[in-house]
Amino acid sequence: MNLVEILDEKLIAVPLKGTTKDEILEELVNTLAEGKGLSKSGYTSVINAVKNRESLGSTGIGKGICIPHAQSDAIDKISLVVGVSRVPIDFDSPDNMKSKLFFLVVAPVSAASTHVEVLASIARSCSSSVFRRMLEQCKSSREVIQLFSE
Amino acid sequence: MAVPFKNILVYIDGSEESISAMMYGILLAKQNGSKLQAMYVVNTKALSDLVKAGIFLDMEKNEYQRDLQKDAERYLKHAQKLAKNKEVVVSCITEEGSAHKIVRDYIKSNKIDLLVLGSVSAIRSRRDELNSETDRMVRTVPCPVMLVREDEELWEIFE
Repeated sequence: MNLVEILDEKLIAVPLKGTTKDEILEELVNTLAEGKGLSKSGYTSVINAVKNRESLGSTGIGKGICIPHAQSDAIDKISLVVGVSRVPIDFDSPDNMKSKLFFLVVAPVSAASTHVEVLASIARSCSSSVFRRMLEQCKSSREVIQLFSE
Repeated sequence: MAVPFKNILVYIDGSEESISAMMYGILLAKQNGSKLQAMYVVNTKALSDLVKAGIFLDMEKNEYQRDLQKDAERYLKHAQKLAKNKEVVVSCITEEGSAHKIVRDYIKSNKIDLLVLGSVSAIRSRRDELNSETDRMVRTVPCPVMLVREDEELWEIFE
């Protein structure tokens, strides 16, 4: 599975409005809930799963990137929310660098293989400093999808 | 090279496409009287890479590895059921590591003469071309490769 296959204009938040780690997580999950039409309990299930994972250790991986992720059966197939913040956010990353790029990945428990594949694919894409810079400069959902399609 | 194929391997990754490949492999083995094997590779290389990249915690890696092992059992059991349905015997293999390397090495050491794969996903960006495990298999295995396209008729045959 490639990233372009699961990217969805409705699941891209550019720019993010939150200014704290908690606000960003809530905004990303809210974007997912609205885009996928999740119920209130669906939203709660996903935000709890994401925050539980975050409580075990930051999903900030350095170089300004965060990849919050969780398994939840509140959604029926793997989903990716891409968020770009204009303001650098403190996400407790190991390199102490504040983050502007956020990738929320939520998958049902039965989709472990695809989940791993998508996370690895994000890591590979973000290993390029040029890609990171270009993503930071995206001004719309369409520009984000265009960038991933190149 | 032996024609018709005597030793067929189907690579299953849990995708619908790979199940189609399994169905096709079963029909082909039945028609040719070939030996049929199905393989699922738990991608422990990807899991380790995610830990190195700081995305997974060790604990998380172990949980996902268990989930992938369960996936392997589930899909290979399904492959056996499909084969039994057509009175074909299939040997199932679960391996761990980097999928394309494991498949390539297995083909070399077990004299597999045909690899059957679900169709590779459309190339939507330059990055995809370099990263897909099935693409890498197509490029690196030493035997002929059959890519099975989605086909409703195939699923109907197994209903």
